[in-house]
Parts: sequence; C-alpha cells; structure tokens
Amino acid sequence: MKAKRLTLCGMLTALAVVLSLVERLFPLDAVVPVPGVKLGLANVVTLFALTRLSARDALAVLLCRVALSSLLMGSVTAFLFSLFGGLLSLTAMWLLLRVEGRFCSFLGVSVAGAAAHNIGQIVAAVLWMQTGAVVAYLPVLLVMSVPLGLVTGLTCSVVLSHMQKIDFNE
Amino acid sequence: MKRVLAAFLLFLGLTGCAGRQASYTADFFAMDTFMSVSVYGSDEDSAQQAAVACEQEVNTLEPALSRTREDSDLYRLNHAEGAVCEVSEDTYAAIEAAVQYAAFTEGAFDPTMAPLTDLWGINTENAHVPAQAEIDEALSHVGYENIQLLGDNQVQLLGGAQLDLGGIGKGFATDAVFTLLTQQPEGAATGALVQLGGNIGAFGENPARDGGNWVVGVADPDNNAEFVATAEVRDASVVTSGDYERYFEQDGKRYHHIFDPKTGYPADTGLRSVTVIDENSTRADALTTALFVMGLDDGLAFCAENNIAAVFITSDKQIYTTDAVASACTYTFLGEEKGYTDAQ
Amino acid sequence: MRSRLKWGDFVIIGAVLALAAALTAVLAAGTQGGRLYAEVWQDNVLVERVALTDATDRTIDLDGHNVIVLSGKSARMESADCRDQVCVRTGTLTRAGQVAVCLPNRVVLKIVGETGEIDAIVS
Repeated sequence: MKAKRLTLCGMLTALAVVLSLVERLFPLDAVVPVPGVKLGLANVVTLFALTRLSARDALAVLLCRVALSSLLMGSVTAFLFSLFGGLLSLTAMWLLLRVEGRFCSFLGVSVAGAAAHNIGQIVAAVLWMQTGAVVAYLPVLLVMSVPLGLVTGLTCSVVLSHMQKIDFNE
Repeated sequence: MKRVLAAFLLFLGLTGCAGRQASYTADFFAMDTFMSVSVYGSDEDSAQQAAVACEQEVNTLEPALSRTREDSDLYRLNHAEGAVCEVSEDTYAAIEAAVQYAAFTEGAFDPTMAPLTDLWGINTENAHVPAQAEIDEALSHVGYENIQLLGDNQVQLLGGAQLDLGGIGKGFATDAVFTLLTQQPEGAATGALVQLGGNIGAFGENPARDGGNWVVGVADPDNNAEFVATAEVRDASVVTSGDYERYFEQDGKRYHHIFDPKTGYPADTGLRSVTVIDENSTRADALTTALFVMGLDDGLAFCAENNIAAVFITSDKQIYTTDAVASACTYTFLGEEKGYTDAQ
Repeated sequence: MRSRLKWGDFVIIGAVLALAAALTAVLAAGTQGGRLYAEVWQDNVLVERVALTDATDRTIDLDGHNVIVLSGKSARMESADCRDQVCVRTGTLTRAGQVAVCLPNRVVLKIVGETGEIDAIVS
C-alpha cells in the first residue's frame, strides 16, 4: 500500500514537472512583465492529488515539483513564486474541497486555486522585489485565472471520471 | 514530512534575505552645487559604502578642478604668468578633455573663458554689463589654443589665458563616479542615480522600474521643477545647459551665464536650454554649452554630422530633437500642456 | 463527472472578478497619490520630514533664512534671504524626485516617496 502511494506520488510529481515545462510555451511574460510568473497548469496535479490522495501527499508532490522544476529551468525567483503560489493554491483548494459537491463543483475549486496561485505569486514578488508596484498586474492575472481555472478543473474532472471507470484507486 | 517542510522554510528564509534590494542616498554640497548619489545594491551596508565612496571621489576631485581655491592646481597655473606648471593627473586629464572638446566644437566650448565670466561677475554681488573695451580686452586672452599640453602632467598657458574647468567639471566627476561604481564588489552597486548639479548619471539597473531604466525629466525653462519631456536612459548621462540657471537683470534685460567666446556676451541664439544624452558625461557637459552657443541651426547641423543626441528648447517654445535621440534613449514629449510644441 | 456547475461556483468566480475589480479601483486611486514626503535638509542634516497629504498645511521657518510652505501634496520655498533666489524660482514641487536647493544657505527641500513618473529632473 505504502509503495503504491509512493509510486503514485512520484508519477504525479513527474507529471507536474512536465506541465511546468509545458507552461513555458505560453509567453505570459508579455502580458505580465514579472519574471517568474506562471500560469499554474500544474495545479491540475495538485487538485488531483488532493482528491485522490491526501492533503499531505499533495503537499509533498507540490514541494517536490517546485524544487525540481526550479532546478531544471528556474531561477531563485521562479522557485519562490511557484512555492508561494503553489502553497496558497493548495490551501484554498483543500479548504474548498471540503464543501465540494454541496456548495460548489470541481470547477469552482479549480478557479479558486488558480486565483490563489496568482495571489501567492504576486505576494512573493512584492516581498522579493521590495516594491508594491507588481500588485498592479494582479487584476489581469485574476481575470485570467477564471478561464484557466475552468479549463484545469474540467481536465481534472474528466481524468477523475476515467479513473473511476478503470477502478484506479484501490 | 515535517523535516522537508522545515528545510523548505529555511531555504525560503535564506533566499528572501539575499534578494532584498537596498538603497542608500548620499546628499552633499560640492563644486558649488548640490549633489545627490543614490546607490542600489544587494544590502544596505555595501550600498552605503558605495555611495559614500562616490561622495569622497567627488570631494577628492573638487580641488583638482577648482580655480578659486588658492591651493589648487588651476589657481597656481592661472597665476603662473605663462610659466610651465606641473599639475595632478586628474587635473591634466580634465584639461586634456576640455581641450579635446574645445577643438571638437571649434571653440564654441572654450575652457579659457574665465576672464570674461569674472568681468561680468555673474552670480556675484557686482554682476553688471561691462564696457565694450573691457570685453575686448578680456576676449584677447580667450582661446583654447593658448593651452599647451606638454605631456608628463606639464601645462603652460600662453597669451594670458586663464583656465576654468567649470564647464566640464561636473561631467568629469560624473564619469569618475561611474568608473568607481563599476569597480564596486559584485552586487554592491547594481544601479545608481548620480545627480551632480545639472548633470544626471543613470548607472546600471533601476530596481524600481520594469525594464530597469531611469526616467529623467527635461526641465521646463520657465519653471524648472516641472518637465516638458522625459528621457528613459540606462548607463548614460543627461546634461542640460539653460539660460535660467544663473543670470542677472540690468535695465530690464536678462543676462545669463553662457557666454559666446566670439562676442564676449551671453549667447543670444533664441535658445532656452540644450540637453545632451551621452555615455560620456564630460562630453555631454561640454556639448550642452557648445550647442547653446552655436544656436539652433548650427547646433542641429553639428549634431547630425557627429551623431549627437540633443534636445533643444527655443524661446518660442519649440522643442527640437536630433536623430540620435531615438537610439540614445526612449524620448517622450510631454510639453503640450505647458504650451510647448514638438518641432519634429 | 464532478463538473456540473453549482451556485457556489458562480460565487467563487464572482468573488475572483470582484477582487480584480476592487484591486483595479484601489490601484487607480493609489496612483493618484502615492505616499509623498517633503524633506528639509540644512547643512546635510535632515531637519524635517513631513508626510504630504491633501490636508497638509505647514510653514517651516529656518530662522528666517528660508521659509518653506507645505500645502496639500506640494511644497515650495516661499522665501529665502540669499542673493540668487534660485530655490524660490524653482517653484512648487509636487513629485518624488523634485528638489529645490538654496546653495548659499545650504538648504535643500526635496520630495521623496514612491517612484513616480520620473526619477530626476535635469536642469
């Protein structure tokens, strides 16, 4: 059982790193000229891990992903932004998942996660650059996080329903 | 799990401290003007050290460029009555630069105008329009050709010439400060804004702006707390000479401090100010004076010929920019509300 | 499928967009007047540092040599007993980076604060 969980965590981390790499194809820097700010596609993995595994495992996957992707391609800033964004996103989604099904659907959870991801990144940028000026980019990022969160949420829910079909869990 | 988390938080704490941008500003009076050097670096201590080093550099240079201090090289040289004098290396380098730019501008900038400025007494109690005979007499001593650079820090002044490096002093100091900033330890001075009187030096990266540029406003000649255009620069100097800086009025006419070496009178060319953007502040300093003296038409032609980035403001509120401005900085005209016209 | 939209989803989306709108509004108001301070220096010593707000109304008299008036978000050298009057002629300062200098009395009035439109004025 433990081995299976560990393997799953490893696979998810690998997937998350790949998604982080894919993310670089979207030139977000053109819209938001803060180096290191990213879309947060890897949130799909976090959301999946939160649903299928535990919050603890999701956190472990997140931390490993952030460390690995920063080592692979990032700077210290990229690491910091991803970490802040990821942690805040994880917390928001974890909280909302408890009311998922009654209050909101997967899509809402995902949108909140995307928004939290961007808030976290900007908070990190403010601390890092020692200037409040970067907050100016937050509204654009927040608006973008709605369609983006919907897409990641939809992706995740499709994946989950397929998983159910193949009786993946146990 | 807990240990992993703790390690991450530690890493976070470490990087958080390392990335902090600190700044230190040194304000001081030197070379008869107000100076301000703001240094941005990785930590406050090294930024402060760098800023204070800049202040010291200017203070060290001051006696080398002054002609009023009785213990200065220039004072000795000006009172040597034509004898050969040995001067310090800094002074020699500054004289060399002054002669170079005087030759370059065919005497429109001239470092031997001291007898004239003394005669007019600009910025002293007895500022007045001198008699024509006095002006002619003073003019007979003016001419950068009278400066003999004999090598080995030996200088000789012929024909009663008197040297005044005021026209390039602040530019020379700005360049020296830039050199000093590049020699700072890695990260100690990643950016700096050097304001030595009317000379602005924008060094390295401005951490407060996206893209890291420094935005310098070109003063409105009628109200020099306001600006009529901005130049976004990096690793460059912006220098302005204007008729509004120092002047006196007599019989309802205004006499400013930029003299035409040909007439011995304040240059009356219909210009209010000339701003030059250049990597070399000494050059920019000399050129603003020279271009002001040349006037708009000759000045524009000279700039086109020599690829000089300059902004001319005329007394009828027209603002002219040269072609080289576009490559030297990001220029934005903002004078419309204040009644200025972009003549391009 | 767990993606059938519930009312709470709209609340979340609404909240995110509202936050974006509120931030935009706050930022727009903020750029109208970032924090500004007037600093008065005499002989390289900071003698006064006053936050400039719309309600600022103060006169600083440096022993009669220089009189500085802070009014709203602006500062000016009202009078000076020096000969050249360059500082008085400099006019009203309203932006970070602007400086009025009285060289003879070694008095400097400068505006500092959040980075504004310009970093320095060349004159």
